[in-house]
Amino acid sequence: MRTATRLTGLMLRRSTDANRASLALPVVAFAVVTALTLTVLGGARFFFTIEGPTAPLYQSLAALAVTLLLIPLLTLCGSAARLSARRRDQHLSTLRLLGAPTRTITTMTVLESTVLAAAGTLLGVLGHLALAPLLGLLTFHGERLGAGHILLGVSGTLLCLVGLILMASVSALVGLRGVVVSPLGVRTRQSAPRLSWARAVAVVAALGAGMLAAQALRIDQGTLSIVVGLAVSFGLTMAVLNLVGPWVLGVVARRQVRRAGGRFTAERLLAARTVLDNPRAAWRQVSGVALTSFVAVFAGVGLAFTNVLAAGGSTPEDDLLLADLRTGIALTLVISFVTVAASVAVNQGADILERRELFTSLERIGMPLDGMDRARRLAVLSPLRVVALGSAAAAALLVLPLTGTVLLTDPLSLGTIAALLAAGIAVVWVALRATSPLLARVVADA
Amino acid sequence: MHSTVAAPPVLTAVAVAKSYGPTVALAGVSLQIAAAESVAVMGASGSGKTTLLHCLAGIIEPDAGAVTLAGPQGALRVDTLGPEGRSRLRRQHYGFVFQQGLLLPELTALENVALPLLLDGVDRHRAEAEAAHWLAQLGLTGMEERRPGQLSGGQQQRVAVARAQVGSPSVVFADEPTGALDSRTSEQVVTALLQTTTGAGRSLVVVTHDQRVAAVCDRVLELSDGLIVNEHVNRRRAA
Repeated sequence: MRTATRLTGLMLRRSTDANRASLALPVVAFAVVTALTLTVLGGARFFFTIEGPTAPLYQSLAALAVTLLLIPLLTLCGSAARLSARRRDQHLSTLRLLGAPTRTITTMTVLESTVLAAAGTLLGVLGHLALAPLLGLLTFHGERLGAGHILLGVSGTLLCLVGLILMASVSALVGLRGVVVSPLGVRTRQSAPRLSWARAVAVVAALGAGMLAAQALRIDQGTLSIVVGLAVSFGLTMAVLNLVGPWVLGVVARRQVRRAGGRFTAERLLAARTVLDNPRAAWRQVSGVALTSFVAVFAGVGLAFTNVLAAGGSTPEDDLLLADLRTGIALTLVISFVTVAASVAVNQGADILERRELFTSLERIGMPLDGMDRARRLAVLSPLRVVALGSAAAAALLVLPLTGTVLLTDPLSLGTIAALLAAGIAVVWVALRATSPLLARVVADA
Repeated sequence: MHSTVAAPPVLTAVAVAKSYGPTVALAGVSLQIAAAESVAVMGASGSGKTTLLHCLAGIIEPDAGAVTLAGPQGALRVDTLGPEGRSRLRRQHYGFVFQQGLLLPELTALENVALPLLLDGVDRHRAEAEAAHWLAQLGLTGMEERRPGQLSGGQQQRVAVARAQVGSPSVVFADEPTGALDSRTSEQVVTALLQTTTGAGRSLVVVTHDQRVAAVCDRVLELSDGLIVNEHVNRRRAA
């Protein structure tokens, strides 16, 4: 134990600039996951304090929003864990080759993952505290939320932190199998086959954590069954989307490979080939937006249509509900895109650090930095556009007669959703641009 | 020591110096490389051979001295070009082969070879036709659509050699091109490299630790502490 602790401390302290960046990325990712998870759960808890005839509706919608946001948040959490594991594997497999015992390796793995996740989650709590006053300005159910209603509370916060740190440790231990069983396999970057039971365990663990969280949030059994029902139905929808999504991205990328031409042929070709090389990874990065966009347009059209029908004859309570639903849709879309943007930034940062030799070689054969950046941007934004706009178009088509009516009678509602989708894509673009200095530094340092 | 050749030089370095902080990597190296000549640069680790290659190739800027390329449009001072100019120079006049090949894993062999031309704005159809020609020259016909991961180490390195030839560069730079290969594959790759460079009228500068690679080059320069301390012309090659 002492050896493992000492070695872990040494590796964390003796980092090069690039290694420090690879240490910082999972910490930042865990911080973003924590801040957003605490804020989303804290905000959702407010709706379970509402009383009156509309309370069940509000609570169901809050549960729906949480379920929608959990998908991108879990994706981001997975990215953070994978990133942390990639960094560690390089060191641990070398130690394993030098003859370090399994117990030392295991302890080091758990220690490093826990330290990084703990640092990230603690920063995330600060982020949650900073976000609370901002989101507290929103008005729901006729009253201003206030920072107090966003803050999750001590017990809920602690439970969330423990859950996230536990997830980091468990995923590190699962990833460790490659190092323990086949050190050469990891050292030479061959990917070991993934075990399907690990996913099943993760799902069961997530459900268990959800039940515990529900109890901590004092959610009653009736609402809990709604949440479970929603989670199951959305889980099934996501399962179908997970099957179809990568295939669609692959088809689009194959077409882009064939048609790449014009001024930026090399960049377009490289971006399309990157997606085609691993459509599942491209999908995983943007899948959270699929369901959010679909629901946003579906619900947005429904709301606008209700608005049109009720024009002049609605009660103040109806108006209140409609306004709240609009705010809720906008908020869910914004958080979903912010999570995807964070996930993209973390993955791109890791990709730059992992493929630094390749980027350097591209620079040497005369590819300008702008070109490399353009290829990276296209490889993320193209699938994002396909997913966001495709899901939105699918929802609009599904309720086509209503979409047409709303377009004619209340275009502002649909325009707002379209503007939010465009702003979301812009946020992801900004996240991509934020990783450009890292690419420039990696190439310059070579 | 000032290295010279009888044929008109395509690349000339005069008193090139480069330091990294207090460490002197190059202490004023002068040399000339003739058209269609192959030059091996040897030396112990830290002797400055990779820094010399980087200065000649316009990858880094020397602190002092001059590097001149006799290009088709006249003499071009490599050391005075800005980052964009050097980038263009590397695309249009130079070819590179690295130790690990460093091909893009997502692209096919054909696309990897065509990449320098595509970056230079050449039409895709033309770029891929030229890439296919070079792959055929290197005995890789039928492997155009394979990804680097589906090729052996030797095949990957031959794809890298093909990539260095597209666009007809004046000089090809190779940094330990056989460092990751077994002796038999090394021989095949070096033969291919020489045939496609000096055999086609291009110059080749190869940094290597491998005596067998040096033995098949026209000239061998030996570096120590940032200076050329020995130079010899291989008799077999000279003959």
